[in-house]
This record gives sequence, C-alpha cells and structure tokens, in this order.
Amino acid sequence: MWPVIIKPVYAAAPPILHKYEDDEIFLQLVIRNDDQLAAFYVGREFPKNAINEILKTCFITPLVKNNKFDALWIEPDSWVFTLDNQPIERIKRDYWKKIWKDVGLSQAHQATFGWTLMPETRDLRFDEGAGGSIVIPEQTRPFTLRVHFNTGLYKEGKPKVITFKDVLCPN
Amino acid sequence: MPKLTTGPTGIIKLLIYIGLLVASANAVAKEGLPKGIMVLKGQDAPPLVLKNLDGKIWDIEQSRGHWVFLHFWATWCGPCRREMPTIQAILQEFKNSRLEIVLVNTAESEDTVFEFIGAVAPDLNPLMDTDGQATELWQPRGLPATFFVDPDGKLQYLALGGRNWHEPAYLDFLNKIIKK
Repeated sequence: MWPVIIKPVYAAAPPILHKYEDDEIFLQLVIRNDDQLAAFYVGREFPKNAINEILKTCFITPLVKNNKFDALWIEPDSWVFTLDNQPIERIKRDYWKKIWKDVGLSQAHQATFGWTLMPETRDLRFDEGAGGSIVIPEQTRPFTLRVHFNTGLYKEGKPKVITFKDVLCPN
Repeated sequence: MPKLTTGPTGIIKLLIYIGLLVASANAVAKEGLPKGIMVLKGQDAPPLVLKNLDGKIWDIEQSRGHWVFLHFWATWCGPCRREMPTIQAILQEFKNSRLEIVLVNTAESEDTVFEFIGAVAPDLNPLMDTDGQATELWQPRGLPATFFVDPDGKLQYLALGGRNWHEPAYLDFLNKIIKK
C-alpha cells in the first residue's frame, strides 16, 4: 500500500529531517527552507501573494505511521512547542481563513491548502500513515517539540510521547 | 528481525518470530480484507452531484443498485499519480459489472486534470470538485482515498492511501463485494 503522503515536487537541497522510529511508531519532522516551501506551493499553482504569506511563518511537516496500535491519535492541539520553557502558540486554520480572505485566494486553493495541513484530529489505524504541515510563528532560535499521541480506538491505551529538541526554523 | 542462532533456542526464537508475523498479517487482513481497506459503519453516503470534464452531471443518487468505487485524488499528490494507471487498468475488467468506477478530482483546474489524465489514464473522465467543497463534505481522511458505496447508498469500506488495484488481492476484493 502506498501511504498518504504529501510529497514535494522539487529536488534541490534536502529538507531538514528529525526522525524517531521504534516498533510502535514512525515519526519524522520535515522542515523546508523558503525556496523549498515556495516550490511546494508553486507546484500546486498557488499565486505569489499567497506564497508570500506562507513564507512569513514556519512550516513543520510531520510524517506519522502507526506501526502497532489499533488507533494512534493525531491531535496537534496536544503537541507542545516551547522555547526557554515558554509555549509557542501554534498557528491554526482560522488564522489562514482570514489571510486568504485578505489576499483573495480562490476557494479551490484554500481547499488544497487545507489538505496540505495536518488534520486537527485523526485516528490513524494500524499500518496507516499520514502527513501534513503544522505551522508556528517564525523562530530564530532552536525550540523543543513535545509530541503527544493518545492510543487505542477509544484513547484507552498508554499515551505515546516523543520529544524533539533543538528544532529550528531554517531561515 | 531478531538475530537468529542455531540450536533449540534459535528455533524457538524463529517460531516466535513467525508467530508474530502471522499475528501481524492477521491484524492487517481483518475480515479477509486486503491491506489498507477499512470497514465503515454503513452510514448514508453524503450527497454528491458534480460535472465531469465533458460538463456532464453525475449524481450519486443515480447509482443506486450498483456498487460505487468513489476515488478522491489530486495531481499534486504523489501516491495519487502512481495509483491512477492501476485504476485505468481495472476499468475494462469491471465494465458492464455492478461496480461503477468514479473519480473525483479535488480542487484543480480542468487544464491540469486534462493534461494528467490524458497522458496516464485516458479512459477515465473525472468529476471536477472545482472548489473542493464536495471533498470537504466527504472527508476522505487524506488523498488518495477510495470509498465503496453499496447499492443502497451506504458507505461500506474506505481504501486508505494508494495501491495497485490490479493486484490479485484487490481484484478479489472488488469481485467479492460486487457479488454481495
């Protein structure tokens, strides 16, 4: 089976990767620089003014695969970004709705953009994978990301927690 | 894979490993389904009325009495691009059967879709979800994704991600469901 992965269409310098894998889960963070991120959306025929708005922020693209559990819950609201022990607020979908209205982005491109983001909630079934971007404000210093997954069809299992340190927005 | 050694201990480890593999395969193939096919709860399919590339309207309500293979995709999605020729490959096999193969392109222009489909799967004529709202309504968990709607208009299965539909396991699955 070919996984659902949002795949970039360019091939310049490789993106920055942070990877975790065990017998329960595969998790990789892909962080693209401005050129790579712009190319990703140019490939989806986004207009320049929309891409400029995207480049004002920091996109982190987790790729997740459930290797063990009946269900592994992707819920970005429970993922915590911190810098100097202070939380970094995630940029959510409502922010983009306003931005896209201001720049006049077509409904079709808004829909496509939505499909490039990580779902707000998704019960990944055994052997299922998913990918999508999570957005935070641009950061100039390394930060920490604590990823929290509930497990089990009814979230009855032991949570899975993975911490990535020294994550950096590339530009 | 565990390191294997000779002697009784090695054989026991090997048997345990084989046992784990079998258990894993069973977990994938619940209800005898091929990998990546999820059973749904038989809920009513959402409405779907869209035009194809020729401007002809298709309404899911008109497909009662048939199984519908309803495939959501986009040209920018790598797994979708790899999967499309395999859908083209099964089109003839299920022509005049109880399986109707229907594609929904998510939020792309006619030019983009025509250029891709014309080169890769010229016998397919996708429905155009030009503003992406039909896909939003159906919530296919990701792209690509394929819903199976039964002859009563109920959602029975969802195929997650892309695959080679021309492989025997998936052909068997399709042949079995249309006999239900």
